[in-house]
Formats: sequence, C-alpha cells, structure tokens
Amino acid sequence: MNTAVNAWLRDHPWQADGLLAAALFVVTVPQLGAGQASVAARAAYVVVTVLLAGSVIPRRRYPVAAFAVAAVIAAAQIVFGVETGGQAQVFALQPTNADLAILVLLYTLAAYRPRPVSIAGLVLCLLGSAAAITRWSPAHGPHPADALFAAVAGVGGLTLAAWVLGDSVAYRYRRAYYASLEDRAARLEAERDAQARVAAAAERARELQERRARAVDESAARLRRIERDLHDGAQVRLAALAMTLGEIKENLEQSSGDDRTLALAGAAHQNAKDTLAELRDLARGIHPPVLDRGLGPALGILAGTSAIPVGLTVALTERPSPAIEAMAYFCAAELLANATKHSGARRVNIGVREQDSGLVMSVTDDGDGGARLVPGGGLAGLRERVQTVDGRLEIDSPSGGPTIITIELPRHA
Amino acid sequence: MTATPDPLRIVIAEDAAIMRDGLTQTLTRRGHDVVAAVADAEALRQAVDEYRPDVAVIDVRMPPTHTDEGLRAAQAIHKDHPRVGVLVFSQYIETESAAELFASAPAGVGYLLKDRVADVSDFVDAITRVAHGGTVLDPEVVRQLLTASRRGDTLAALTPREREVLSLIAQGRSNAAIAGTLFISPKVVEKYVANIFDKLGLAPDDNDNRRVIAALRYLES
Repeated sequence: MNTAVNAWLRDHPWQADGLLAAALFVVTVPQLGAGQASVAARAAYVVVTVLLAGSVIPRRRYPVAAFAVAAVIAAAQIVFGVETGGQAQVFALQPTNADLAILVLLYTLAAYRPRPVSIAGLVLCLLGSAAAITRWSPAHGPHPADALFAAVAGVGGLTLAAWVLGDSVAYRYRRAYYASLEDRAARLEAERDAQARVAAAAERARELQERRARAVDESAARLRRIERDLHDGAQVRLAALAMTLGEIKENLEQSSGDDRTLALAGAAHQNAKDTLAELRDLARGIHPPVLDRGLGPALGILAGTSAIPVGLTVALTERPSPAIEAMAYFCAAELLANATKHSGARRVNIGVREQDSGLVMSVTDDGDGGARLVPGGGLAGLRERVQTVDGRLEIDSPSGGPTIITIELPRHA
Repeated sequence: MTATPDPLRIVIAEDAAIMRDGLTQTLTRRGHDVVAAVADAEALRQAVDEYRPDVAVIDVRMPPTHTDEGLRAAQAIHKDHPRVGVLVFSQYIETESAAELFASAPAGVGYLLKDRVADVSDFVDAITRVAHGGTVLDPEVVRQLLTASRRGDTLAALTPREREVLSLIAQGRSNAAIAGTLFISPKVVEKYVANIFDKLGLAPDDNDNRRVIAALRYLES
C-alpha cells in the first residue's frame, strides 16, 4: 500500500505537488478567517496565500523560479506584514502557515540544483528569517532573549533541516547518477568489446572461407593434373606397350610354330588392353577430361552414355569454377546411376540453370520415388560433398515418384 | 613386313612421342609412307597443306589446351581438303564429338578409341578404310548410341537385327563384311539393308550415300 502510494507520487509529480499546495492552503484557512479586515483585504490575503501555496506546484520543474516567487512574497511579508508590536501594516501580507512552502522550496532547491544555488537559497532564507525575527513583536516584548532564542532555533533549525534534507537527497541522486554513468560506460565498453570480437570472428570466418575455397580449387586442380599425368604418361606408355604386344602377337600368328609363346603373347596383349580400359575408367573417375570444355558438354556425354533416356537442359551464361563444375558433374553422374539402378525410372531429366549467386541443378526421374537420406548412403555423401562449398541438396521423393533432387551450388567455392 | 599393294601417305598428329614413334614404326613396317609425324594441331595443318596425304591420324587432345584441338583440326582439314581422310582417336569416347565430326559429310572420316591401336591390323585396316573415303566409327560409340534409347524416334521402327546391321554399317563395314560378322548370307544382308533404307525413308538413288546417311542417323537422332 505504502509502496503503491510512493510509486503514484513518484510517477505523478504535478498531482502530488498539487496536493501539497492544497494541504498548505488548507492549513492556512483558519488564519484567513481570523482578525478584522475588510472583504477586499481578506480577498487579497487569500490571493497571497494561494500564490504562496501554489508556488510548490511547479517546484520540480522550475525550482529556482518557484523559490524566487515564494521568496519575493516572503520578503514583502517581512517588510509589510510582520506585526511590530501591533497590527500588521498590510493585512494581506501577514505571515501564514503557507510560508512553510518556502521550506519545501528550499528543500527542492537543495535536492534538484547545484550546491552553490541551494546555498544561496539557504543564506537568503536565513537572512529572511533573521529579518523576520528582528521585526517580530515578541522580540521587542518583556522577555526578548527567550523569544528570540526560540524563534532562531525554530526557524533557523527548520530552514537548515530543509536544506540538509534536500542536499542529502541531491547527494544520493548524484551518487546514483555517477553510478549510472559508470555503469553506462562499462556497458559501452563491453559492447565495444563484443563488437570487436564479432568483427574478429567475421574476419576469421572470411579468412577460413577463402582458405577453404583455395583448398577446394587446389584439390580440383590436383585431380585434373593427376588425370593429365595419367593420360600423358602411364596411359600412353600402356597403349604403346599394347600396340607392341599386338604386333608381336600378329607376327607370331603369321610365323607358324611356337604355340606356347603365341598364347603368352596373346595373354599379355589381352592383359595390356584390359589394364588400359581399367586405367581409362580410373582416370575418368578422377577427372573426366571433357569437363575442361564445360559442364554442358560433360553432362552431354553423361546423358549420351546413360542406359535410360536423359533429357538435358543446361542454361548457363557463365562457367562456374572448375571445382564447382566437377562437383556438379559427379553429383549428376551419381544421381543418374542411382535412378538407373534403383528407381525403375523410364526417363531422367537433368536441368542446370543460374540462380542469384550460383547454379541450381535438378535431377528428376519418373521412377518409384521413396529416395531417402540414409547416414553413410550415397545421397548423404553427395550432400556432405555439396556442403563443403556451402551448397545445398534437397530431396523430394514421395512414394510412387517422381523423384526430384535439387542441388544448389555457388559459382565459386 | 609385307609390302602393302597400295601404300598410303599418312600424317600423324600425336603429342606423346612414344605413341607417335610407335605408330610411325608400325605403319612404316606395313609399307605405308608416314610423310610427317607432328605433335600439335598447328604443325598438323601445315603438314597437311604441304603433303596432301591420303589420311591424317589425329589425337583429340593436343597442346596447348589439351582438350579438343585434334577434333577441331580434323574438322578444318576435312572441310579444306575433302580428299584427305581424317581418323581421330581419343582416350575417351565422346559421342557428341563424334557426332560433330560426322555432321558435315562422313566420307573419309573415322573416330576410334585410342585403345584400338593395340589391335594393330584392325587399326591399320581402319586407317586404310578412311584413306579410301570410308567411314569408321568405334564400336563403343555405336554401342553407346544403341543403348541410349533416347534415339527411339527415328530408329524405333527397326528390328533388333536391323539395328545390328545398321550399327555395322555405321562402322563402315561392307555388306560382305557384315555377312561375315553376323554369319548370314550377303543376300540376307542386302535385304536387311534395303529394309533399313526403306524404314529410314532413304531414296534408292545413290547407294553409298544412303549407307552414310543411315549411319548418320545414329549420331543425329
């Protein structure tokens, strides 16, 4: 309950101070009716009281101005209103309970304004108090010392108390303010640190990406070199050897006689030819030379040698990097082999087209469908391969077909 | 070796020295005249311009790019010198390359897998056929073209036996050779050939041309 009230007061400063002003006015009401004065004087008295009490309403927004208004009224009261042994000179300017507003405003000044300002206010208040007390009639009465002492202690004490209270609040505010500043500085620093770490991580990621691209390209280039070395070296020598063995065999066939030698030569010849065929398949598995002419021709050959009919559409305006071409080719080769072996498809369509920053290859067959990604399986292997260059492989293969496998690859690793 | 009754003038283009020398020796031993043995397409063009050989034996992959220089050179030679036979041999069978090569006019054109050099006599025989304006297509190309049922449209009407005969025609075999291969009489072969021509809609005007066109249907369809 108490906290709710506090919260309301904190959140509604104008209303709270309005209530305070009303309270100040209310405690003054008995005084307004006391004494003898004309209706006009009484009305003026009410106006002065309302001004005095009302000066606390804008205190938080305009502490100095509010204080100044109250101070001016108080000064006028001291000069014209304090009774010096008799009736007040001006009825409307008699001191009232609403003068408590000055204490509130001093407190406000101390709480919301820098110390030099609030000290000036305090000095003004003390001087005013002193002036008021010296003009106060009991100071001129029979026991001036007692009365003076009480007045000084009372008024001065209250004034000082208001100031000290305000100042301590200000102190707390300042402390909280500095703490919040420090907190903010710390937060900013942490944020800067985090940003620096993010930037460093991004830099590192970029570096790794470049390194990976280099590795992928180098690996593709190495495979191509191995194939070319095989072609220029072992394959040529083996072909020449097979040719020589063929000649030996034919010579032996023509020169009648040694059947055993002929059989040996025939076997050696056949072996050389078989090895040649194996070596060719091996080399093609490493890097089909037709890839050097582009993905389109390479897929064309793949389609041409397929056991089931293949429809091929390649729409590329720009050649991807060799590593990407090789990856797309080997994916197509494996998917085509899968479709041929497992799906019972009668037809396969391979489409390659450009998309934003890369290419999309879709391999569609009219087979039984139900193709799944099995850990360690062919499709999983393809997906892993594609993912090494941030590519994607998606499978759409409802039971009963058709199967659509879509592969997205960047233009460069 | 026995001297051939009809020695051929041959240019060889092959960048691997061991193969180039082996081919040269083999062909020379069989009585042919290897007038030039070169290692790249540029030298090949010069040699053909200079010697006007009966046939040029050309490796597909040659410097500088090692892709299809030989194929391009063969096409150019075939266009500029229609009387010079071109036999292209390749490490791998590429049906599209073969189709390109045979696209213009298949007379005096051959395409063989490199492995075929091992069967020396067959290889030399293929060179001879190309030199004489024949057509030689590697059996592997034909096999691939036949297994790839994508060519169903044009050839769908043919019976398996007719396809078999057509594949042999595509390899540049004569009716007599086809009869020998399939163990049937030349008369029967003639009947098959007539049926094939009929089904492919080839008019009976020029017999040789029709064989060539029929063979081409494999590559084009």
